[in-house]
Amino acid sequence: MGQGASGGLNRQGLPGDRKNDGDKKEKKFEPAAPPARVGRKQRKQKGPEAAARLPTVTPLSKCKLRLLKLERIKDYLLMEEEFVSNQERLKPQEEKTEEDRSKVDDLRGSPMSVGNLEELIDENHAIVSSSVGPEYYVGILSFVDKDQLEPGCAILMHNKVLSVVGLLQDEVDPMVSVMKVEKAPLESYADIGGLDAQIQEIKEAVELPLTHPELYEDIGIKPPKGVILYGEPGTGKTLLAKAVANSTSATFLRVVGSELIQKYLGDGPKLVRELFRVADDLSPSIVFIDEIDAVGTKRYDAHSGGEREIQRTMLELLNQLDGFDSRGDVKVILATNRIESLDPALLRPGRIDRKIEFPLPDIKTRRRIFQIHTSRMTLADDVNLEEFVMTKDEFSGADIKAICTEAGLLALRERRMKVTHVDFKKAKEKVMFKKKEGVPEGLYM
Amino acid sequence: MAPDPNSTSSGPREEASVKVPSKDPKKKDEKKDEDLSDEDLALKQQLELYVERVQDSDPGLQKMALESMRQEIRTATSSMTSVPKPLKFLRPHYGALKSFYETMGDSDLKKYLADILSVLALTMSAEGELESLKYRLLGSEGDIGSWGHEYVRNLAGEISQEYAKRQSEEAPIDDLMELVQQIVAFHMKHNAEPEAVDLLMEVEDLDLLVEHVDKTNHKRTCLYLTSSARYLPGPDDILVLDIAYVIYLKFEEYPNALQIAVFLDNMQYVKQIFTSCDDLLQKKQFCYILARHGVAFELDDEMVVDNDEREALQDIINNSKLSEGYLTLARDIEVMEPKSPEDIYKAHLLDGRASAGASVDSARQNLAATFVNAFVNAGFGQDKLMTVASEASSGGSSGNWLFKNKEHGKASAAASLGMILLWDVDSGLAQIDKYFHSNDNHVIAGALLGVGIVNCGIKNDCDPALALLADYIGKEDPSIRIGAILGLGLAYAGCQNDQIRCKLTPILNDAKAPLDVIAFTAISLGFVYVGSCNEEIAQAIIFALMDRSDSELGEPLTRLLPLGLGLLYLGKQESVEATAEVSKTFNEKIRKYCDMTLLSCAYAGTGNVLKVQHLLGQCAQHLEKGETHQGPAVLGIAMVAMAEELGLEMAIRSLEHLLQYGEQNIRRAVPLALGLLCISNPKVNVMDTLSRLSHDTDTEVAMAAVISLGLIGAGTNNARIAGMLRNLSSYYYKEASLLFCVRIAQGLVHLGKGLLTLAPYHSDRFLLSPSALAGIVTLLHACLDMKAIILGKYHYVLYVLVLAMQPRMLMTVDEDLKPLSVPVRVGQAVDVVGQAGRPKTITGFQTHSTPVLLAAGDRAELATEKYIPVSPILEGFVILKENPDYREDH
Repeated sequence: MGQGASGGLNRQGLPGDRKNDGDKKEKKFEPAAPPARVGRKQRKQKGPEAAARLPTVTPLSKCKLRLLKLERIKDYLLMEEEFVSNQERLKPQEEKTEEDRSKVDDLRGSPMSVGNLEELIDENHAIVSSSVGPEYYVGILSFVDKDQLEPGCAILMHNKVLSVVGLLQDEVDPMVSVMKVEKAPLESYADIGGLDAQIQEIKEAVELPLTHPELYEDIGIKPPKGVILYGEPGTGKTLLAKAVANSTSATFLRVVGSELIQKYLGDGPKLVRELFRVADDLSPSIVFIDEIDAVGTKRYDAHSGGEREIQRTMLELLNQLDGFDSRGDVKVILATNRIESLDPALLRPGRIDRKIEFPLPDIKTRRRIFQIHTSRMTLADDVNLEEFVMTKDEFSGADIKAICTEAGLLALRERRMKVTHVDFKKAKEKVMFKKKEGVPEGLYM
Repeated sequence: MAPDPNSTSSGPREEASVKVPSKDPKKKDEKKDEDLSDEDLALKQQLELYVERVQDSDPGLQKMALESMRQEIRTATSSMTSVPKPLKFLRPHYGALKSFYETMGDSDLKKYLADILSVLALTMSAEGELESLKYRLLGSEGDIGSWGHEYVRNLAGEISQEYAKRQSEEAPIDDLMELVQQIVAFHMKHNAEPEAVDLLMEVEDLDLLVEHVDKTNHKRTCLYLTSSARYLPGPDDILVLDIAYVIYLKFEEYPNALQIAVFLDNMQYVKQIFTSCDDLLQKKQFCYILARHGVAFELDDEMVVDNDEREALQDIINNSKLSEGYLTLARDIEVMEPKSPEDIYKAHLLDGRASAGASVDSARQNLAATFVNAFVNAGFGQDKLMTVASEASSGGSSGNWLFKNKEHGKASAAASLGMILLWDVDSGLAQIDKYFHSNDNHVIAGALLGVGIVNCGIKNDCDPALALLADYIGKEDPSIRIGAILGLGLAYAGCQNDQIRCKLTPILNDAKAPLDVIAFTAISLGFVYVGSCNEEIAQAIIFALMDRSDSELGEPLTRLLPLGLGLLYLGKQESVEATAEVSKTFNEKIRKYCDMTLLSCAYAGTGNVLKVQHLLGQCAQHLEKGETHQGPAVLGIAMVAMAEELGLEMAIRSLEHLLQYGEQNIRRAVPLALGLLCISNPKVNVMDTLSRLSHDTDTEVAMAAVISLGLIGAGTNNARIAGMLRNLSSYYYKEASLLFCVRIAQGLVHLGKGLLTLAPYHSDRFLLSPSALAGIVTLLHACLDMKAIILGKYHYVLYVLVLAMQPRMLMTVDEDLKPLSVPVRVGQAVDVVGQAGRPKTITGFQTHSTPVLLAAGDRAELATEKYIPVSPILEGFVILKENPDYREDH
C-alpha cells in the first residue's frame, strides 16, 4: 500500500495545479477555485487511468480498416514518444520533480498516521478521524489531488497537525488480491481424460470471446457471459477450471463460495463487488467460483441474520453477473455438484448462459483416466487395466485416481518395485468399500 | 484468418499426454490409436487407404480414391477450436502425396490431386511458402467456395503476399487475377464485403468491385470504402472514394454519391449527378446538401431543363429559406422569446458578493453584453437591446443601447444587429439601413459589417451586400473601410466572386493603406476564395507581406496576412507547395509563422500523420528569441488531426504533453487547439482540462481556456460548462479582461439559445465545410494574441464565427418543401462499418417529432414507415416522400 501514498500527488508536476495556490496567497479574499466537479467521485474509469486510455477501435473483425486504424494510433503514440523523449533530453524533469518530491516529503513529515476522511467541508478543509480518538477539523494540503478525495476514503495525516497530506489509493481489498491466480496451475487440457464436449463448450464460452471477439461479432451474437459446471463429485469440474487457468493469458481469479461469507454484515456483498471490480480492472479476466452452492442456494424465508446475509451476498452476485453496469471482458465460471439446489435467478440465461454437465466417465473416458494416472507408475506385466475399465461399478475420475494411489501404496507397503494386478484389485475393493459407506462390494449381488 | 493457432499446439500436446514411459515407438503408436474413438479410427484407416490408392498405378482406382478423399474433407464439420478430423489424419501423408504429385503425368487426376494438396497445405504449409496458392493455381479451376471459408481466407492472404512478390519481380499476374475474381465473387456473395475489398486493395485493382456489388451489399461495401478512405495514405484514398462514387451512381444512390463528390471537391461529379438524376425531389435534396456545405454552385440548363424548376432549386442552394426554417424550428421548440444578457449570466445563482462587485469597467461590460446579446439571439430577429430600443425611439435618436458603447464598441454594437437578423436579408437590410445615415464613423463601420453578417451564407440575385458595401471600400476612414471589407468577406465567403477580387486586391498593394485595412483585406479575400488556390490573390498577399517594414511585421495584426494566404489553400494539400517555397524568402520575423500557417491550413482536415509529426517537431523546440510561430503550429496539429475521431482523441493526448513540456507561447495555444478539436462537442475530459487551465496563473492561458470553454460548448446550452463559467465570472470579477472573455464564452455556450452549432463537420461527420473552418481558424489565430486583437479595438473579429454557425436541426419537409412533422428517433450514433447483417445505427434513442435538435455524435432515423426520406442522412433539411407501400395499421 505504500506506493499508493505517492499516487495521491501524481499531478503535482503539472504547473496548472501549482499556480493555483500561488494565486491564493497574493489575493487574500479570493474565493477558492471552483472545484473541477461537484458531488461524489466519478465512477472509476475502467482499466488504466482514463487519460492514458486509447480510443476503442471498431470494427472488431479483422480487416484492413481495423489495421489502418490501429496503425494510426500507433503513429500517434510514436510521435508522443518522440516528443516526450526529445523534451526529456533537452530539459530533464527528473531532477526537478525529485526536488519537488523531497520538499513534499518534508511537508508531510514522518511518520504519517492513517485515518479516515469523514466529510469534505470545502476545497481545503475536511473532517477526519483516526482509528483511535475523536474527529478533527483539519486542512488539506494543496498537493493532495482533491479530485480523488471522497468521504470514506483512507488518507494519510500529518503526525502533529493531522492535516491531510496524502491519499491511500490501493483500494483493492487484500482479500481479493489473494484470489488472483499468480502461478498458473500445472494441470492442462491434456491432463483431462475425455470430457471433449465439455472442453469444447467451455472454450467456446469462456476463452474464445476473450481471444477472438470478432467471431461473435461476425455472426451477430453476444458471447455467453458465464458457464456453470455441475455433476457428481470427482468428475473433474475443478480440474477443468484449472486447465482453463493454465491455458489462458487472461487474469484468473478464483474464489470458493464459502469465502464470500463474512463475519460482519455487508462484508460479503462488498467482497463480491470488489472481486468484480478487480476483475474489471484487470480485464480480460475469468472469475471462477467453486462450490457456488455455499451462497447460491434457493431463497426462502430466512430466520437467522446469518442466512439473510448469505442471501444478500447472492443478490449482489446476481447483480454483478447481469446487473445495471455492463461487464466487459469478464467471464464467470461457476462450479457445483448440487445444481438443483441453486436459485433459479442465478442460472437464468443472461447470467449463466451455459450449463455444462460432467457425467460419470464412460468406458472410453475411464480408460483414458486410467492411462493418465498410471502413466507415471511402474506396473508389473500382469496388470490388466481393462478389467477395471470394463467393470460395471460407477467410478468417478477421483475414484480412479484413488484406486491408482491406493494400489501404489499397497505395493509400497510390501516394498515391491512394481504395482501388480492384485494391488489394483485390493485397492479397488477398498475404494469402493469406502464409497459405499461400509457395505462390502458384491454383498447383495 | 491464419490457420487456427490451436491446430499446431494441440496436436503435440495430446501426444505428449499419452506418452508412456516405455520408449518403444510401436507401442506409442498403438496407444495413440487406442484413444481414438471407433469412428475416428475407421476414418483414419479409410483415409490411409485412400492415400495408398492414390499412389496406385491404376488411374481408375486413383480417381476413385481422390473422389472419396475430397468427399471426406468437404463433409467434415469442424468446430471453431480445432482442425477438421480428415485434415488432421492426412497430415502425416502430406509429404508423400506431394512427392507423388511431382511424379505424376499431366492429367485431370493430377489437377484433382493438386486441389486436395492445396487444401491440405492450409494446415501444413510452412510460413511463407504459399503452397496452398501454388497448388490451387496448378489445380482444376473448380468452385472455390466448396472448400469452405477458412480455405478462401487463407488463399486470399497468400495471394496478397504472392502479388507483392511478383510486383517486385515484375512477373505477370494474370493467373492470380483470375483467382482474385473468384474469391471476390465468393466473398461478396457471403456477406464478407470487407474481405473482398481488402483483397482488391492488396492487389490494387478495386475496379473489379463494381461488377460484383449488388443491391443488397453495395451499401455496406461503400460504407467500408468511405470509412477506409480516411485512413489510407496518398492517392489511394481518392481512388477508393472514386470507386464508392461509381458504385453509388450504379445503384442510383445519388445523395450518397453527391456527398462523395462534394468531399472530393469535384464539381464535375456534382454536375454528372445532376444530369444523370431525373427526379426533381432528389435534386432538391442535392441542393439542400450543397447549401449546407456552403459551396457556390450555379445550375445550368443542362442539369435542370425547366426554367422555373431551376430557379426553385437555385433558391435552395442560395439558402434563401434558411431563416424561415430556422424560425420554424425556434417556434416549435418555443424559444422565440428574446433573452437579455442577464438571463444568460444568471448572476442570481451566485453568492451575493460577485454581482455587487460588478461594473468595474462599464464600457467593457456593455461591450460584452452586446456580444452576448448578439450570439444568444442570433437569427431570431428580435432581442432586448438593439431591436427593442430602435422601435421605441423610432422617431428620435437611433438606438439607446448603441450609445452605451464607446467608440469602436459602437461598431460591434451596430454589427450585432446584423447577427440578430442573421440570414433574413430583407428585413435585416431595412433595419440596418438607418445606421448608414449616422455621422459617427464607427456606427457606419458597424452597419457595413452588419450587412455582411446578415448576408452570410445567403446568395441573392441582386447582390445587395456588394451594392451597398462596394462604395465604402475606398473611404478615407480606416474603420469604415475595414467594416466594408470584412462585411464583403463574410457575405461572399466561398463564392469566389470576381468582382470582389477586383475591388479588394488593389488595396493589398496600396502603399498608403494602413496595416489593419490590409490585414482585413487579406482575410476577406481568404474567406471569399477559401480553398481555391487562386494564384493572383496569393501573389497579391505575398507582395503585401514583402512590402511590410520590419516594425510592421512585429504588429499583432500582421498575423492575419499569412492566414489569409493560408485560407486560399485550405485543405488543398500539395497545391500549397509553390507558395510555401516563396514564403521561405520572407523576412525572418514572419517566415516561420507563415510556413506554419500555410502548412496547417493546407492539410487541415486531412488527418495526415506526417504533418502532425512535423508540427509537433516544431513545438518541441525551446525558443529564446520570442518567436511566435509555435502558436500556429499547435493550432495546426488540431486542424490536421480533427479529420477523424481516432486522430482527434490521440491529438488531445499529444496536447496534454505539450502542456506539460511547452513554454508559455505553446501553453497559450493549447486551449485554443482543444477548443477547435471539440468545437460544439463538450467532451468531459476536455472540459476538465480547460477548467483546470482557466485558473492558470498566466492570464493569456486562462483567457484562451475560457474562450475555448465557450467554443466546445457553443450552442449546446451545456449546464456544466454554464456552471463553470458562472463560477469563473465570480472568481474573476475584478479582472475586466478575463471577465470579458468569460462573458463571451457564456454567450457562445447559449449560441442561438442552443439551436446553433459551430461544428464545421456535417453529414455524419463526413464533410467539412471550408468556409466554416475558415471562420473558426481566423478567430483562433486572432485569439493567439488576445490582448491586441479581441481585447483591443478589433473585437468585431468575434463575428467571423458567423461563418460556422448553422442550425443543428433536423427539419423534415414534404414534397412542396413545407415543414412536415413526423416522429423520429434520435440517439447516439454507432459505428456500424464492417458489421454483418443490419445492425442498429443508433443507441439510447428517444422519439421526438420533427423538427428536432441533433447534438454532436447524434444520429436520427425515421420512426414511421409512412414516409421515405430522400437523403439517407437525416440532418438539416430532409425531404420526405410518401411511402407507396404504407398501410395504416388498424
